[in-house]
Amino acid sequence: MILDNIWLELFSRWLLGLVFIYASYQKILFPSDFAKIIYGYDLFPLAFINLMAIVLPFVELCFGLALVIGIFPRSAALILNGILLAFILALSINLIRGHEFDCGCFSSLKTSFASSTGHWIVRDIILLSLGLQVFFYGGFRKACLIRNLKPYTVAAEKRQTLSVDK
Amino acid sequence: MHFKQTTSEVIILLGISVVAAFVVNYFSPVGIALTGQWNDSRGVISTRGKDEAVVPDLEIEDVTVAKQIFDKKQSLFVDARSQESYEDGHIKGAVSLPVIRFASMIKSFQKRYGRSQPIVTYCSGRTCGDSHRLAQLLFEHGFENVSVFIDGFPGWEAEGFPIE
Repeated sequence: MILDNIWLELFSRWLLGLVFIYASYQKILFPSDFAKIIYGYDLFPLAFINLMAIVLPFVELCFGLALVIGIFPRSAALILNGILLAFILALSINLIRGHEFDCGCFSSLKTSFASSTGHWIVRDIILLSLGLQVFFYGGFRKACLIRNLKPYTVAAEKRQTLSVDK
Repeated sequence: MHFKQTTSEVIILLGISVVAAFVVNYFSPVGIALTGQWNDSRGVISTRGKDEAVVPDLEIEDVTVAKQIFDKKQSLFVDARSQESYEDGHIKGAVSLPVIRFASMIKSFQKRYGRSQPIVTYCSGRTCGDSHRLAQLLFEHGFENVSVFIDGFPGWEAEGFPIE
């Protein structure tokens, strides 16, 4: 099956990782502008906006890096899938209720934080499908620094079961 | 077993992320405070970041007060928004000095207006910090009397005050 393809897993993992690394870059450079975007969603408690603006870009960066260099890729994919789901949910809620936020406050920002909502939802769904492939992939993963915290394989499980039986 | 392993891996990666986030934010010149000012009824929203220039003492919070200053005809209203926004509509008599073009425009601005010229900056309302940023830049270039009209062009227009 194509979803079990070793090269597809590597491609999905690297692409997803690079996208998140790139996405974190602008947010780390302009945390104030990112915080105003979070405020603009009008979905989060005001007390947590700054904390989200501080932590979220580094979660994206670290988990993106983890995918690219292959450190706990399955767990990294799990969290990034969760973030993507949260993005899709937040964007969809605002699309449904017709909520648009334009504070006119991104004069310093060259990139397009504020693009069309539909465009971002489609992009996130595509990324989520890549993330799910990485998460559910059961075979050997290429180019990984640390695949698991504790190597845990079916063979190891069988050995354990056999020793218990004896 | 898988669940425990995944949980441990996630905790390790999250731990690294959170520590890195707070360390970088603490030392970064653009770092922000742990809590911001997000209540627009109390003034311009702000992360209280190191690079943010929101100074509540400079703020003109009431549109009618801004109108009284306007009517005295002594203060110069300066529009901090983009040139395009200015051309779409601005407070009558206001001049354009977009924050992003400040460096290239300040020389000619200084030639036209003296340092003691009373100035009122504005942008697009309480979710916009450019009026504060412009005020700080003007202070840094020697202007002594600068205030910030926080309801900006939308607040002014909504009251039906003179625009062009």
